[in-house]
Amino acid sequence: MKHLLGTLILLGASAAQSAQGAAPPAEAAACQACHGAHGEGMVDGDKPRLAGQSAFYLDKQLRDFASGARDNAIMSAIAKGLNDQTRAKLAAYYAALPVPAPLEHKAPTAAQAQRGHQLALEGAEAKRVQACNNCHGPDGSGVALSAPALAGQLAPYLAAQLKSWQQGSRKNDAGNLMSSVANRLDDADIAAVTAYYASLE
Amino acid sequence: MAQRLKEVDVVVIGVGMVGSILAKELAAAGYKVVGLERGSTRFTVPEFQSPGIHDELRFDVRKALMQDNTREPVTFRNNTSQTGLPVRRWESFLPGTGLGGSMVHWNGQTFRFQANDFELATRTRERYGKGFLDPDLTIQDWGVTYDELEPHYDRFEYLLGTSGKAGNLKGQIQPGGDPHESPRSRDYPTPPQKEHYSGALFRKAATSLGYHPFPQPSSNLSQPYTNPEGLKMNTCVFCGFCERYACEHYAKSTPQTFILPVLLANSNFELRTGCQVQRINLDSTKKRATGVTYIDNAGREFEQPASLVITSLFAINNIRMLLLSGIGKPYDPGTGKGVVGRNYAYQTMSTVASFFDEDVIINPFMASGASGTMINDYAGDNFDHSGLGFIGGAFIGAVNTNGRPIQYHPTPPGTPAWGKGWKDAVVKHYNHTIMFSLHGSSTSQKQNYADLDPTYKDAWGQPLLRITFDFPKNDLKMAEYVTARGVEIGKAMGAKQVVGSPRKGPYTTQIYQTTHNTGGTVMGNDPSTSVVNRYLQSWDVPNVFVIGASVYPQNASWNPTGTLGALTYWVADALKNKYLKNPGHLVST
Repeated sequence: MKHLLGTLILLGASAAQSAQGAAPPAEAAACQACHGAHGEGMVDGDKPRLAGQSAFYLDKQLRDFASGARDNAIMSAIAKGLNDQTRAKLAAYYAALPVPAPLEHKAPTAAQAQRGHQLALEGAEAKRVQACNNCHGPDGSGVALSAPALAGQLAPYLAAQLKSWQQGSRKNDAGNLMSSVANRLDDADIAAVTAYYASLE
Repeated sequence: MAQRLKEVDVVVIGVGMVGSILAKELAAAGYKVVGLERGSTRFTVPEFQSPGIHDELRFDVRKALMQDNTREPVTFRNNTSQTGLPVRRWESFLPGTGLGGSMVHWNGQTFRFQANDFELATRTRERYGKGFLDPDLTIQDWGVTYDELEPHYDRFEYLLGTSGKAGNLKGQIQPGGDPHESPRSRDYPTPPQKEHYSGALFRKAATSLGYHPFPQPSSNLSQPYTNPEGLKMNTCVFCGFCERYACEHYAKSTPQTFILPVLLANSNFELRTGCQVQRINLDSTKKRATGVTYIDNAGREFEQPASLVITSLFAINNIRMLLLSGIGKPYDPGTGKGVVGRNYAYQTMSTVASFFDEDVIINPFMASGASGTMINDYAGDNFDHSGLGFIGGAFIGAVNTNGRPIQYHPTPPGTPAWGKGWKDAVVKHYNHTIMFSLHGSSTSQKQNYADLDPTYKDAWGQPLLRITFDFPKNDLKMAEYVTARGVEIGKAMGAKQVVGSPRKGPYTTQIYQTTHNTGGTVMGNDPSTSVVNRYLQSWDVPNVFVIGASVYPQNASWNPTGTLGALTYWVADALKNKYLKNPGHLVST
């Protein structure tokens, strides 16, 4: 019990430290310009929140930007300049940051909220689309080592990713799963499901 | 009093794999088809979605997808000196119910039988002489050959999108595939699934012993696939919930993914669920079916007249449907006369467990129903049986199908059955054990059969099916021999301890083995030893076709689904091109 208590205190301390933004690695300066001082992302544009995303996922994305499996001119230039060690350090740093409150976002319409909720939890038989949460976890909270968190992510970013899966400029998923799903969604579905996830705490 | 409905061209009893494929073929050819399903409709969305579909207690332990055996069990006994009793809890085998049938909860292993299997009696006599077989065995040829079925196997695999690697393309042996397979006209539609670490260790050990490992053909798909019906399927994510569960991802091939949307969109087809068919009705000559009688969920009785009746139920239910309808002479084990219920057989399953040190990480939870690496060197007649005293064999495979927390906890012999000792052993071995499946053939013998139970009835007052079965001596000898070969592979993998568990008698319904019940309405060329002809048409009532693993004269070393799919298309062709153009006996008696 004593040992457990000690661990809890330590965890609390490290979370508090990160919340204050203490000691980001020097290399994070390049990230902060677009992804915010605390990894919260940027409402304007499609710069995702990084804070609280799993280290495995963030590290893999940086590798995929570098290899071209994920296509983005800015990120691929930055990722190519990172060595294994720096990449891992940055991924660990952002993974440990507390998840910020969702940034200001456009609230989904009632119809979007309903359709988004349906796609997230249940899927759509007519389109042969399974529920997003099957892989992305309860309420889109993410599954470490497998699928990123969607809850509270910025809608323009999520929509841009679904478009990238459709267009093939992003192809770093296992088994083409995301391209299979994205290709069966239309623009209204994308607007609905991204607005829904952006609205989740 | 049954309400009489408007006559249709075809009634299909049971809308599972066979029923949905055949109904689609006939509806597309312009015939009016009614499908009668005793269970409910169910689709990938919303019924099969997470997290509900991963409820191990509900689906694995309590068997939520299975035939309701509070209303419709079977009775079982090992031999005629015993009294059959109702099986009130499925364990040994798991017949499903509902739209899509048992295939909804299958594992996806999609094999072809070998050419030899279809002519087993003839080829065994030719190779080993007349006196080789135990005289109790009643194995026989199928009346159809591999070459005749090959195009239909091909069509079925492309319908499902099966992931595998050809081993024999038109007679040319292909490296990396199964060199023992009979020639196939083209490769599988999709490449094999990824190999597990357990499969990689198996491959290395099997190769070192001179065997021929290959990836198990799987209908949990390795990549996105659009089938010839235009239906799109997804890549399997190795969630580890296949057998006993439905797939949430459109990645395991089931009627829901490969045919039902096309069938249900055809206005020539009408699906009726909640319909318990009581019998196939015959006219006064008993040589012609007039339709079927069923009771719906509200308890109302209907008569559905039809020109053609197809019974496409799970194997044991096909037998019962014929017995309840008075079609074909029931088998009498005393005289050996009669055919319905004769040659009931099963599958002879053994296992080998290889226990490793803790530095060998297996991750058994990363699994699909059919991903694995296996050999056919001891399957079927792929090895010389001279002097062995048995026929048949088993495939041996390191097949990771699940590592689920309630049901999967391999422990070595001597482990306490409960308490701290058991828990410690589960923790120690869970992630460091490789289980081989030894999937063995099953011969038919005169003592094994199915008939109507003299005592017990179902919820509608009809007699239950009674199964009388024990393992033939032949099959137990086979299990002993092949399990010893499996143990050698386990040792060659470098396991610290290897434990072989060859299947032993007596057969019990209380331990899960496999849902591969076969026989009872077998096919053949001789009406005195078969219920249906080579086109699965009843010898006695030619406008009744019986399609299911119940037509297998005996069971081969592989999972039966692929062969049943091939037979389904074989019958579809016979119906469309022969029978429906000129109804009557397709084979003269």
